[in-house]
Amino acid sequence: MISLIRAELLKLRTTRVFLGLCGATVLFTVLGVVAGVLSAGSSGSPKLGTAASARNIFGSGGPAALFALVLGILSVTGELRHGTITQTFLVTPRRTLVVAAKLVAMLIAGTALGVLAGVVTTAVAWPWLAAKDVSVSLVSSDVGPVLAAVVVGAALFGVIGVGVGALIRNQIAAVVVALVWEFVLEAILIGVVPDVGRWLPGGAARGLTRETLSSGNLLPAWGAGLVLLAYGLAFAAAGSHLLVRRDVT
Amino acid sequence: MTSVIAVRGLVKRFGSVVAVDDLNFEVEGGTVTGFLGPNGAGKTTTLRALLGLVMPTSGTATVFGQPYAGLRDPSRRIGAALEASGFHPGRRAIDHLRVAALAAGIPEARAAAALTEVGMEPAAQRRVGGFSLGMRQRLALAGALLGRPEVLVLDEPANGLDPEGIHWMRGFLRAFADQGGTVLISSHVLSEVAQTVDHVVIVAGGRLVASSTLAQLTDRTSGGAVRMRSEQPAPLHDALVARGMSATLVDTDSVVVTGAGAREVGRMVAQIGVPVFEMTTEGSNLEDIFLELTAAGRGTR
Repeated sequence: MISLIRAELLKLRTTRVFLGLCGATVLFTVLGVVAGVLSAGSSGSPKLGTAASARNIFGSGGPAALFALVLGILSVTGELRHGTITQTFLVTPRRTLVVAAKLVAMLIAGTALGVLAGVVTTAVAWPWLAAKDVSVSLVSSDVGPVLAAVVVGAALFGVIGVGVGALIRNQIAAVVVALVWEFVLEAILIGVVPDVGRWLPGGAARGLTRETLSSGNLLPAWGAGLVLLAYGLAFAAAGSHLLVRRDVT
Repeated sequence: MTSVIAVRGLVKRFGSVVAVDDLNFEVEGGTVTGFLGPNGAGKTTTLRALLGLVMPTSGTATVFGQPYAGLRDPSRRIGAALEASGFHPGRRAIDHLRVAALAAGIPEARAAAALTEVGMEPAAQRRVGGFSLGMRQRLALAGALLGRPEVLVLDEPANGLDPEGIHWMRGFLRAFADQGGTVLISSHVLSEVAQTVDHVVIVAGGRLVASSTLAQLTDRTSGGAVRMRSEQPAPLHDALVARGMSATLVDTDSVVVTGAGAREVGRMVAQIGVPVFEMTTEGSNLEDIFLELTAAGRGTR
C-alpha cells in the first residue's frame, strides 16, 4: 500500500500539472495578501492590527483548497482521459487499493499545497506588516488557527476532488462543474440561504478559515472541518464505487 | 504442455451490442499464438476481459487457471501492452515506467533496462506527447516487460510500426518464445504475424471461426491453381486433360491447372515429358483463407 501511495505521488510529480497548480497557488495567495493589506481599513474591511484583519490577511491561502480540488479531479480524470488507467489497473487489479492510494496521495498533495500557501502568506505578510509597525504573533489565537485551517481545507478538498473526478469522469466537465458550483451556486446560496449555504463544501471551507464577511452565519471551525471530511469521504465512496465496477475500455 | 490462458464460453455485451459471443480457446505454454480477426471482431474486448479490465457478461477468461485479478504480483507473471494511447502526453518515457515499477514493487532500475530492451533508451527523457505511434508501441512493450513476465499479451503491437519495426518485433517475439515464453498477439492482418506464430485463433463477429496450428491452416491452401509456361503448351494441355486434369490453355504459352496441388501436377508433367520453364501456384493463399473464414463470421453480425 505504501508503494502504491508513492506511485500515485510520483504520477503527480512527473507531469507539469502539479507544478502549474503550485504556481497558481503562490500567485493567488500573494494577490490575496496584497489585496488584504491594501484594502484594510477601507470600505468596511477591518483595520490593520485588529484580530479580524489578521484573520483576513493570513487566510489569503484559501485558494490552495481550490487548486487542491482541481488536482484531485485531474488525478482521476487524467487517467481516464489519457488511458493510463489501463496500466494502473493492470499493475494493481484490486481497484479499491488504487482508489485508497489516490485518496491518501491527494491528502498529502493537498496538505503540501496548503503548507505552500501558508508559507507564502507568512513570508509576504509578516515582514510587510512589521514594516507598517503592526505587530502580529504567529502563535496568536488568530493567525495560527487560520494558517492551520488553510492547510486542512486544502487537504480535504484534494480528497473531495478524487471523488468528484471519479463521479463525473470527463475532465473538462468535472473541472467546470466544480468551479461553477463553488463560485456561482454556492456563492448565491451562502448569500441568500445561509442556513443551507454554511453546510455546503464552500461554506464549510469559509467556516474553517473564519472569513469575516459573514462569519456570523458560518459553522465553527471544528464543525466545518468535520463537514468537509464527511463530504470528502462521501464523494470518495460514491466515486470509487463507480470506478471499481466500471469496464475499462 | 498445459494451457496458460483459457477462455471458456466468454460472452460480453455492451448494451445491445454483442462484442464477444460464446468464445472458447486456449493458449499453450511456450507457444506464440496469433489472435486474428477483422477490426471489430471482439479481439480487444476478449483481451481486456482476460486481464480483468472488462467484466464478462458470462463465461470465464483465466490465466494460470485463475482470474487475472486473483494473481499475486500480476506484473511479474503477465506483461500486457493493450493500446498505444495509454500515456500521459506530458510525462517522460522513463517516468511512465517508473510509476508502473513502483506500484508493482519492481526495482526502479528495471525501468531503464526495459527501455533498452525495446531500443528506446535515447528517448528516455522525452515527453510521450512527441512520440510517433511506433515509439508508443515500443514504450507499451517496455511496460509489458517490466516485471520480466513469462507471458506476453499484445494487442495489435505492429500497428504503426514501419517495416523495420515489424521486422524487429518479429525477431523480438521469436527470441522471447525461444526462451520458453508464451505470447498471445492480436492482429487484423494475418501476414503480419504469419512468420511468427505457431498457433492461430481466428475470430469474426465475436465468434470463433478457427483454432489450429498455422501448419493446419496452410494445408487448406491446396485449392488454388498451378500455372505453367512451356514452349509446347498445346501438347502439354492435351496430355494433362487426357490424365483427367482440369487444364486450360492461357495466353500463347501457358497452361493453368485447377483442383490439384503443385506436387501432383509436377509429377504428372515429368511423366508426360514436355519441358516446362516456369511453374507457379496461384490463388488461394493464407490471406485468402483468412478472408474466407472471417467473411463467414462477419455475415452474422
